[in-house]
Amino acid sequence: MSRDNKDLDQHIEQLLANPTHHGHPLQKALSQLWQVHLEERSRLERITHLSDAYQQLARERETNLGERFNKQLRQLEKLARISDRYQHMMRDLNLALNEASNRDVLTGLGNRRLLMERLKEETERAARTGRGYSLAMLDADHFKEVNDTHGHETGDRVLVEIATTVQAGLREYDVCGRWGGEEFLILLPDTKAEEAMVIVENVRSTISQIRVRADLDLGSVSISVTASIGISEYALGESFSQTVNRADSAMLEAKRSGRNHSVAAKSPTAD
Amino acid sequence: MSNLTIPGSQSTPTITGDWEAGQLSMQGDSYPENSFDLFNQALDWVERFFRDTDRPLTLELSLLYLNTSSIRAVMDIFDMLEEAHRSGRQVAVNWHYDHRNERVAELAEEFKEDCTFPFSIVPHQ
Repeated sequence: MSRDNKDLDQHIEQLLANPTHHGHPLQKALSQLWQVHLEERSRLERITHLSDAYQQLARERETNLGERFNKQLRQLEKLARISDRYQHMMRDLNLALNEASNRDVLTGLGNRRLLMERLKEETERAARTGRGYSLAMLDADHFKEVNDTHGHETGDRVLVEIATTVQAGLREYDVCGRWGGEEFLILLPDTKAEEAMVIVENVRSTISQIRVRADLDLGSVSISVTASIGISEYALGESFSQTVNRADSAMLEAKRSGRNHSVAAKSPTAD
Repeated sequence: MSNLTIPGSQSTPTITGDWEAGQLSMQGDSYPENSFDLFNQALDWVERFFRDTDRPLTLELSLLYLNTSSIRAVMDIFDMLEEAHRSGRQVAVNWHYDHRNERVAELAEEFKEDCTFPFSIVPHQ
């Protein structure tokens, strides 16, 4: 309430209280008017007070809701972030599993599953482009003797040496994998049998220079190893397993004819 | 007092609540069909423990993969612990992980972020 109003209040109270005005008709009228005014003012104050309280309540509720909303938003963001990271972890795990399922544990080369996959792809590509591939089936000679004489651990080391040597002798886009025990399959994309022969003959000659030390009762010895190789060139229209079988037969032919050399399979049409 | 025993499966963690010891353990992967049914039992147990006792509570977790609703449930449990901690209760979380799987530790760190109660991330050999 302002200063002026207070003065006015005081002034009127004094006038009404002054006995000299008693009985004057204006005094009675002022007194009634003054009562009505005071009631009106107190009502107005009560309404203002209530209204303020409601406003305060609404404001508090709004702040409260805002806080709750922000909290839930933060929770949701955290949830999404953690969930994304779990998914990421699963994806990486999947990739690692996929990689592991395509690798030969001993040599680190691709395994038979990977080779089958690549054979399928290359065969489809050959069907589309008309450009074929060659295969070389490589088998370590007398490998059973290495295992029997020097033990599996030494045999394993020989296999790792062969794997490393083959891999080093191939072009970047050739694929070598472990087909079975001591058998390796080499896939040479976009390559004729004659070119394949040059490449694998090189590999075969390097393999014959491998020396692996092995401990015997009487001291250590140096083991050497040779390989027999069969080569086949994919013939349009045949299945890749037919191409593999022809390479396999050619490899057996190389074994029968003295080992440590390469034999190219005849094309299927020449049979 | 009441103990809680929920046997695990391939897609659900083993959950055990030891009322006397004041310990709730969860181990394994968690990607159940209905996470809320599963974790509500754990949430209820924690709620009852806070209501009916004034003893400390420790969570021993060895969780690996969690799907989104399981993450939500674990966050809810941590929220309850946070609230209890702020009101003066003694609570702690030990999150155990295989030391070869650092990523589980990184995820546990994410969970830990807003928690003010003791939260250890413990590698195991």
